Amino acid sequence: MLANFSFRTIVEYLPLFGQGLVATLWLSVLSFAGALAIGIIACGMNLQRSRLLRAPAKVYIDAVRATPLLAQLYFLYFGLPRLGFILPELVVGVLALSLNSGAYIAEIIRAGILSIPRGQVEAGVASGMTFVQRMRLVILPQAFRVTIPPLLGQAIVLVKDSALLSLISVAELTRAGQLLASDRFMPAEAFITVAACYLLLYYGLKGLARGSERWLGSRTVRSRT
Amino acid sequence: MIWQQLHSLIGSYPLALRGLGMTAVLSLISLALGTLIGFALGVLRAGDSRTLSGVIGAWVDLIRGTPFLVQIFLIFFILPELGVELDAFTAGIIGLTNLASCFICEIVVAGIRAVPTGQVEAALASGLSRWQRMRQVVLPQAMRVVLPPLVGQYVLLIKDSSVVSAIGLTDLTRVGWLVVQRVPNGLLVFALVGLAYFIVCYPLILLASRLEKRLGAAHAEVQL
Amino acid sequence: MIEFRGVNKWFGPLHVLKDITLSVEPREVVVVCGPSGSGKSTLIRCINGLETIKDGDLVVDGQHVSDRATNMTQLRTEIGFVFQQFNLYPHKTALENVTLAPIHVRKIPRAEAKSAGRELLAKVGLADKFDAYPAELSGGQQQRVAIARSLCMRPKIMLFDEPTSALDPEMISEVLDVMVAVAEESMTMMVVTHEMGFARKVAKRVVFIDAGAIVETGTPEEFFSHPRTERSRAFLSKILRH
Repeated sequence: MLANFSFRTIVEYLPLFGQGLVATLWLSVLSFAGALAIGIIACGMNLQRSRLLRAPAKVYIDAVRATPLLAQLYFLYFGLPRLGFILPELVVGVLALSLNSGAYIAEIIRAGILSIPRGQVEAGVASGMTFVQRMRLVILPQAFRVTIPPLLGQAIVLVKDSALLSLISVAELTRAGQLLASDRFMPAEAFITVAACYLLLYYGLKGLARGSERWLGSRTVRSRT
Repeated sequence: MIWQQLHSLIGSYPLALRGLGMTAVLSLISLALGTLIGFALGVLRAGDSRTLSGVIGAWVDLIRGTPFLVQIFLIFFILPELGVELDAFTAGIIGLTNLASCFICEIVVAGIRAVPTGQVEAALASGLSRWQRMRQVVLPQAMRVVLPPLVGQYVLLIKDSSVVSAIGLTDLTRVGWLVVQRVPNGLLVFALVGLAYFIVCYPLILLASRLEKRLGAAHAEVQL
Repeated sequence: MIEFRGVNKWFGPLHVLKDITLSVEPREVVVVCGPSGSGKSTLIRCINGLETIKDGDLVVDGQHVSDRATNMTQLRTEIGFVFQQFNLYPHKTALENVTLAPIHVRKIPRAEAKSAGRELLAKVGLADKFDAYPAELSGGQQQRVAIARSLCMRPKIMLFDEPTSALDPEMISEVLDVMVAVAEESMTMMVVTHEMGFARKVAKRVVFIDAGAIVETGTPEEFFSHPRTERSRAFLSKILRH
């Protein structure tokens, strides 16, 4: 079979793969934006002193991290209609990805903030800063530098996770592959092309990650404490 | 209405057990095999041969750069065309074991690189061979760095096992999918599926963070 | 026993060893000293292959170190190396540290290795610390275990790379005493150190190295009392001030 690997068919389906690739990019960007928002809020709640605010955040984060994305996806896909929300698959998919990555991002941000040495906080307090000022001027700028690489790592995970959306018929890259595989009985051509496209995205994001580390490294002076 | 559904659900009990069993078997086999292969790969990758290290690295990158779903499809649909007779279960095992090996390989490499060079030099200076150095000096110390992320990786693999439901394997997630066709209460059904995964994964997550705290703090790099 | 012939070494553009020609006879104790960055550590690390040389010849125990055919692993069993940072295995007790190589490399039966190990540990003054882990020992004690560890392989040559530089002052003498005892048992030794008292006591020769080149060699009395070059004088005045 591999003897007659049909490049011609791949070329024929290239527009479809192209659309799939673009769709995957789009929904990944949307989902990541959503995940960032959810993650920041959840993390903020988790760092509060009040039990009332921490509990829902902790439950959310723990529940998401201990269950598979696919189960979460099906939970929303089959469950939301029951609650009266009839949503297009794309929306359900983006929602599922946002909620899933949001929990991981919350933990990444928390780790970043906690990695700032106590001495920094104390310096801020000693200068008479309020909590918000300390956060804005001292803690968050430093935490930012630490969290960018793992955030980009999570972005890579999210792009790969988006492949699961093909299982609820969302028109994205993996689904394009499934269509070629079933239409023309050419699973090899289909999925190898799909894999190649994901690798493109992967190396693109890795390059971004490395570039950002260099950019961040040059702008900030490592303190010697 | 809800009582009817609950009744149906309870009737699905044997199916649920099958699904649970399948997830358990898939996870255990691929974790065990993946750990063995992953350690072997990690030791080789951290070794002296640049070609070997490069080849392993390239394969690991391939696996880390593509979605597991696509890998499963590739294994399940393409290997038979190459003459390998495959059922969904075997494809699942191959896919999960491969995934586990690659990620564990990277964890092991990081652990080995974390061992101070002074230790390697001391072992080298005593005339210990490469294998003896690994076994007696490097690996025992690397374990401290390897254990927490290793347990974390186990959790990820148990969750990734849900993806094999896409090739028709009746694991826990597929059971949910099957049941929800008859008992159209997605919330209830998948809440239960989620609960089952949670019961298995959450303790492991806690174990991983406890290990991290204990082993990270007690990093007995001898203080001068 | 050890012979450097025209050895050169570069770290990238940096010429760290310049045309080193030096020999150490059996049962001789040679002290190497010099300012930091002079290449003295690099020099001694070449002997057991922790650093490689690209130019020149280095013959140790009759074998050419830079020759690819030389079995370095085997050669290293005849050379004991004591590190500045001790490098004891933290996950093993003192006795296990000492007996690890004899058991696994020389294939000495466990019981025999253990009794030899105990004997050596007692000799360095740690008879009550057989089962202690490095984390439970002071720096001086750890370094003594490290010396016992090297000696347990019954090497022909003992190399010491600044063995007391990482120690608190009050522990230096206990380690030097052990090294003097080793020297008095006619061991071939090369020691990189600033400890001039030690050099005076047991060294046959002192080699002064600066900026990668050997500047001066002589007996301890010659070197300390009548240094011949300006650089040696400058160096001595700095360290003898204490």
